[in-house]
Amino acid sequence: MDEMTVNVRTAAVRADGLSRRYGATRALDEVDLTLQRGITGLLGPNGAGKTTLLSILATVGEPDAGRVSVFGLDPRDTAERVEIRRRLGYLPQELGYHRHFTVARFLDYVAILKEITDRRARAQEVARVLAAIGLEDRARTRIRSLSGGMRQRLGIAQALLGHPDLLILDEPTAGLDPEQRLRFRELLSGLPGDPVIVLSTHQADDIAAICPQVVVLLQGRVHFAGTPSELAATAAGRVWAADQRDTRAHLSWRGGDGRWRHIGDQPPAGAEPVTPTVEDGYLMLSHAAGAR
Amino acid sequence: MTATEGGTALHGPGAAGGSRVTTRSRALRLRTVLNLAKVEAWLLFRSLLVLAGLLAGGLVIWLVIHPVEPVWWNASWEIGYGQLLLGMAVLIAAQLAAGRPRRDAMADLYASFPATAATRTVAHLTGLAGTVPASLLLIGGTAVAVEMLAPIGAPGVAALAAGLLLVIAAGAAGIAIGTRFPHPLAGVLAALALFVPFQQSNNLSGATVWLYPWVKPHQLGSLPGPPAGYPPAGAHAAELAGLAVLAGVAALAVTKRGARAWGLLASAGILAAAAICVAGAEQLRPIPATELNRLVAEAADPAAAQHCTTADQVRYCLYPGFGPELPAIQAPVSAVLAHLPARLAQPLTVRQAAPIFPDPTLTHGHPKQQVTQWNAQLQNAPGYGAAAPASAVYLTAGSWPGDTQAAEARFGLALATAEWAVHLPPATPAATHGMECVPLDQAREAIAIWLAIQAIHPSAGELQSGLIGPDGGHVGVMVRGVITLTWNYPSVGMQALASVGTQTTDAGYLLASAMSRLPERKVSHVLHTAWPRWVNWHTTDAQLAAELGIPMPAVPQPLSPRPGMTIVSAPGNPPQNPVCTT
Repeated sequence: MDEMTVNVRTAAVRADGLSRRYGATRALDEVDLTLQRGITGLLGPNGAGKTTLLSILATVGEPDAGRVSVFGLDPRDTAERVEIRRRLGYLPQELGYHRHFTVARFLDYVAILKEITDRRARAQEVARVLAAIGLEDRARTRIRSLSGGMRQRLGIAQALLGHPDLLILDEPTAGLDPEQRLRFRELLSGLPGDPVIVLSTHQADDIAAICPQVVVLLQGRVHFAGTPSELAATAAGRVWAADQRDTRAHLSWRGGDGRWRHIGDQPPAGAEPVTPTVEDGYLMLSHAAGAR
Repeated sequence: MTATEGGTALHGPGAAGGSRVTTRSRALRLRTVLNLAKVEAWLLFRSLLVLAGLLAGGLVIWLVIHPVEPVWWNASWEIGYGQLLLGMAVLIAAQLAAGRPRRDAMADLYASFPATAATRTVAHLTGLAGTVPASLLLIGGTAVAVEMLAPIGAPGVAALAAGLLLVIAAGAAGIAIGTRFPHPLAGVLAALALFVPFQQSNNLSGATVWLYPWVKPHQLGSLPGPPAGYPPAGAHAAELAGLAVLAGVAALAVTKRGARAWGLLASAGILAAAAICVAGAEQLRPIPATELNRLVAEAADPAAAQHCTTADQVRYCLYPGFGPELPAIQAPVSAVLAHLPARLAQPLTVRQAAPIFPDPTLTHGHPKQQVTQWNAQLQNAPGYGAAAPASAVYLTAGSWPGDTQAAEARFGLALATAEWAVHLPPATPAATHGMECVPLDQAREAIAIWLAIQAIHPSAGELQSGLIGPDGGHVGVMVRGVITLTWNYPSVGMQALASVGTQTTDAGYLLASAMSRLPERKVSHVLHTAWPRWVNWHTTDAQLAAELGIPMPAVPQPLSPRPGMTIVSAPGNPPQNPVCTT
């Protein structure tokens, strides 16, 4: 398998030959990946292995084969694993909550688990992340009273506690309304310290908006690693807009303007080429992987 | 990058790529444990479950303790009963807390934190300190309540401490369970398992009962004083401490740890198991024969052990330490004597009895022959009725009621005193095989009841209630082939009097009730003028009524046995109560 390097800068996170099986299902298949500081978007359909990959990077899951290095630390070593976790902020895909806790109590508890032991510093940190995700007026609200979107923001807030050097967010924008998504993008882009951020999402426009790097994971394998524009470019010359649906196209869908958008090898009759987006590139790759 | 007091400094020069692993100080881990423990302790402290356990425990202790003037050697164990309920609540709360990450689908998130599962478990175990105030409050609150009831003896510090350790051990068990089984039912089932042995303690026998987390000794409250090492509170506290440590080890064993930590855990587990075994062996050790000999002697021959005081021609003999009960006992006796129309013909003795039996928790480990001998000695003890002299009223040690039922007990003692004054037997004679004699149509019965009423002045409702049985109907006994309706004042069912010699009747009470409506001076005058006649068992109710100038009260007609009707009586007992003829 080809190693796809996102950036030539110092590797902050490196995965070599990661494989993971769940019974007969191969979730990860010899994944090689190198990430450096900045935001990396992880795109892939359901079941592509995104969550498995992120849990391994977060030292929660263990690969059947291969190895991971985070900031030069090996998570197989107990002491180094703890050290990685001290630099980590993690939002799992499916996160329950201690629903009888208040928002502030929950964040305070997580802050302790992140070894922020000074009470005053912890209070300041909790206040900081609450303000960052816009829940400062809900500090005393019990979690069970929050909406789904608010809970998701709370999940993001707990991940931000302690200024993590490695932020792993599994579908962080799920459940957020458009305004909250915009705010989330702004938040991630403005995080101080240039941390390594990996986020998985189905929202290609999120990737396009904030991720300088993007990785496409399909069927447990890395199919693309590069910039969003490079991903969009993979569909260059294969995206057209037309008034009619073309059955020969690999993918067709009707846009908000009522016109049909086609991804295919041949332009439909009367179609005009359009500039491909990140989503087009991702769909192109996804189709190609499925056809293989 | 280093850990700072202000938290983790997670970004800085050299943080990316190849930064050196910094070894966090143990102090940071300790601070994390203490911070987490503080939160968990606070959550337990304000847990509604723990509060419910505290209230339930307090309520149960109060319900168990307040009916009688408590003796501390029993009350200390009763307080432990309340701690058992609190312990059940703590077990459930601790199980819920320890299982919280998995139950709330947060196990993955927790696994990503630098605070390891072991750190969290140690924090949960340390956080059990949050239950200590509840346990101490239960001990302190109930101890104050006991003190307000004028208890006998001194608090059993080891038994009280064992109650606290029971709560902590239950919490540790809850954490051990919660780390493996996060479902709430697991805690509930474990709490019930903790409770079942207590509920079954009456069916358990022998010294092995002490090995259960908490049991109620059969007759601890009836002892004139506990023998040394009974119950084995110190050893039981040690066992509970060992169980708490063992549960903590079990909770920590589920976490992944290094070889050194495993070694420490194994050592702690072995030490705890050893402590449990030693404490268990200590609890199974027989009570020294000298102690049991002393106890049996005190029960079989109270006179040899008791201190006596004489007042108004009555000797009050109480076991050592029971002196504070004397005023409560003396008051109804003196009140009857004050209304007595004649001087005492013979001295009365009011004496405590300890109707104990050699149960296996006391006699375990001793030869059968020795136990048989103790049993034979106790068969002759007062309170069993076999050797009750006619000049003594026997009170059960440790059974004098508290405030709520004190009036009934006072009336019962007053009635026994009055019966003795009119020459009715205050205790069941051996010849009647344990059946009370019935003063059938004897004027002295009404006089005795009248004297007790004059002494205590119970309410008319309480007196009337004696005419009705528990099922709402009349109660009767067979006397000379006829069912005689009886009058049973509430004190009859109490254990304050070790033995009752006379079965009072409806007719006697109704006549006494009519007498109490007359001026006391008139009745006293009639009685005073011919006292020997009135206390003669041949003098009838009708003769007394006629002398007092009142009509004979109408007594409900009892059923007469009809052909084919079966009179059920206890096996081995004569089917009929004798008539009092002394």
